[in-house]
Amino acid sequence: MEFIIENYYEVGAVILFGVGFVTLMLHSNLIKKIIGINIMDTAIFLFFISKGYILGKEAPIVTELSKTADNYINPVPSALMLTGIVVAVTTTAFALGLTIKLYKHYNTVDLEEILKIREES
Amino acid sequence: MIELIPFINILFLIIFSFTIIIIKKDKIVKFMSLISNLAVFILSIFLLIQVLDNGTLLLNLGKSSSLLGIQFYVGPMEAVLSVVFTFVMLMILWFSYSSIENEISKSRISFFYILINLLLASLLGVIYSNDLFNSYVFIEVSTLSACGLIILKDKKENIKATIKYLIMSTIGSGLVLMAIAYVYSITGHLNISSINEVIISSYQNHNNAVLIILGLFTVGLGIKSAVFPLHSWLPDAHSSAPTPASAALSALVIKVYVFMLIKVLFRMFSYEIINDFIIMDIILLLGSMGMIFGSIMAIFQKELKRMVAYSSVAQMGYIVFGIGLGTVSGTAIAVYHIIGHAVTKSSLFLISGLFIEKTSSKKIEDLKGIGKEMPITLGLFTIGAFSMVGIPILPGFISKWYLSLTCIEVGRVPLILIILASSLLNVLYYFPIIINGYFGNENLEGKIYKSKKIELKRLMPVFLLVIAMILIGAFSSRLIDLF
Amino acid sequence: MIEKDMILKQIGKIIIPLVQLFGIYIIINGHLSPGGGFSGGAVLGTSFIIMNLIYGEKFVEKFISKKFFYKLIGFSIIFYAFVKAYSFLSDIYNLPHPIVGEPGNVFSGGFILYLNIALGILVASVFYIIFSIFIKKEV
Repeated sequence: MEFIIENYYEVGAVILFGVGFVTLMLHSNLIKKIIGINIMDTAIFLFFISKGYILGKEAPIVTELSKTADNYINPVPSALMLTGIVVAVTTTAFALGLTIKLYKHYNTVDLEEILKIREES
Repeated sequence: MIELIPFINILFLIIFSFTIIIIKKDKIVKFMSLISNLAVFILSIFLLIQVLDNGTLLLNLGKSSSLLGIQFYVGPMEAVLSVVFTFVMLMILWFSYSSIENEISKSRISFFYILINLLLASLLGVIYSNDLFNSYVFIEVSTLSACGLIILKDKKENIKATIKYLIMSTIGSGLVLMAIAYVYSITGHLNISSINEVIISSYQNHNNAVLIILGLFTVGLGIKSAVFPLHSWLPDAHSSAPTPASAALSALVIKVYVFMLIKVLFRMFSYEIINDFIIMDIILLLGSMGMIFGSIMAIFQKELKRMVAYSSVAQMGYIVFGIGLGTVSGTAIAVYHIIGHAVTKSSLFLISGLFIEKTSSKKIEDLKGIGKEMPITLGLFTIGAFSMVGIPILPGFISKWYLSLTCIEVGRVPLILIILASSLLNVLYYFPIIINGYFGNENLEGKIYKSKKIELKRLMPVFLLVIAMILIGAFSSRLIDLF
Repeated sequence: MIEKDMILKQIGKIIIPLVQLFGIYIIINGHLSPGGGFSGGAVLGTSFIIMNLIYGEKFVEKFISKKFFYKLIGFSIIFYAFVKAYSFLSDIYNLPHPIVGEPGNVFSGGFILYLNIALGILVASVFYIIFSIFIKKEV
């Protein structure tokens, strides 16, 4: 139990990943699946960024020159995750564009109905 | 200046692909992409000569400390792979100049060339890079370009295939990112060579974390490279894309992720410690099941391109099998099979495209008697199919032979039976096409000899690919000693 | 004659330039405070989207046409690639750097300022083009 309480960021990230995955698998509406992918990606970003936290230090923005590098948290994970966020946004935009194309062809966004229509054709 | 070649390659392709956005005339676009790919191919040959003479090349971009900068590591494996990939892409581009108008609408031709150049740039990036996060960025770019290539053709099956591929690839990338986060939290470095030093000395303290890292990397990269239980996106995606795109996807894209797995397993965790973990047995099991299952599903297919796509699943099983054996020779065979299969599968897909275009149907039954009408084309298909089955001198046979030798060396002799079984299954689905093509008697009346012949200049790229295949088979022992 | 969306148009005339100015401020101060290319570009792109929603697409076409947006994308990526390549090469071969002033000034920190500007223009153009493709219901 102490393990869960001490590392609450990581436990929260894994629970969020699970929520996103269940949303992706169990709903049949395509838009909800895309929301599930977004939640999963956000959970992974939370996991990575929380690895850079050091207790008691502050955010890495230099406002006065008198503070040395010991007073700030580790900025490397935050900088790397900026790229990850951009990639997640691009994937979401692409998936939404594909959903619009699918809607134009089949007139529904529900995956089960699309599968039924495909089997008839 | 020669050491800057990996960086120059990637930069060239990206810059050329984005000048195509500004210029939109078809002829200039085709000419520019030909020049950029030719230049990258010649530079890769220079790189290979340099690496063969002077040993491994380490290029540090940024300030010269290797901990924070981007590092490119080019050993003999990477140099040969980059030459082969640029060569195959050059042949695919040459083929596409004459056949792309039949497949996608005119306004989208420039997008095709943008995406192909970006795809090659990102694949070369994953091969060369020695930094975990850098390769993650390149993996994402290659996923998006590959999805874009499938959707260029505007039919219903394409859209469904692309959504499946996109969602499964995103899950895979998420798992890889989580594995990178775990590695960073244990070791504090992101550079593969530095992580190697830290992990060798301290891996016993973190047993659980190392298991999680290996599992996440295997599943994540396995989704993207169609390892057995996670391969369900591959037949739809590769069979409904336009022909040059499906050749590029099946021959090049899925290989790069399994090469990344090789880098993670054998360069991050070295050969000695990796055999302590149970993950190698699981990889071996998945590889063998993929070999057999892929071939069995291919026998039941009725469309030509879907059959060739399922054959890709089976061949990826061979490569994963080679990795799972866990020795230096196993890895060398896996990389050799990557090269052989890239050349063979791309020529098979291009020939399938020619068949589909001339007979206007996708089904295998309509190919009976096609030998009389397109004899040279069917002959090239025959040579490719022989390599897949395992006739001597061609690269398929050499991979199977050396895999069997490695099985004996590791001490697991019963696995040779699996290799033999899958070779027999390969015969069952390739040979009917060839036999029905040449000797199928029902459709032979009424067909004029050489009536649907393809002009020689369209067949040239496929010719060159087949010649390269034979050469790779002939020089195999020299290549394998390099790795 | 009072049109239905008169309030929106009048407020838009005041707010949209302020939003654009704020976006440009975030881009230029990328190396001194949180922000930089991505977030500043997102704000700038949102201002174009708001202009499209309030005033209609013809208005934005007269302002900046879609072909110009495509050319902006191409040029900013090529500019970004060249500046990044120059920064790598200048470290290896000791070529001249741009000025590195004291921290706290706008013209400090070497290449970051120019890269941020290119990135901001790129992200804003991409946002607007994706929005205009979605709203026409054809991709």
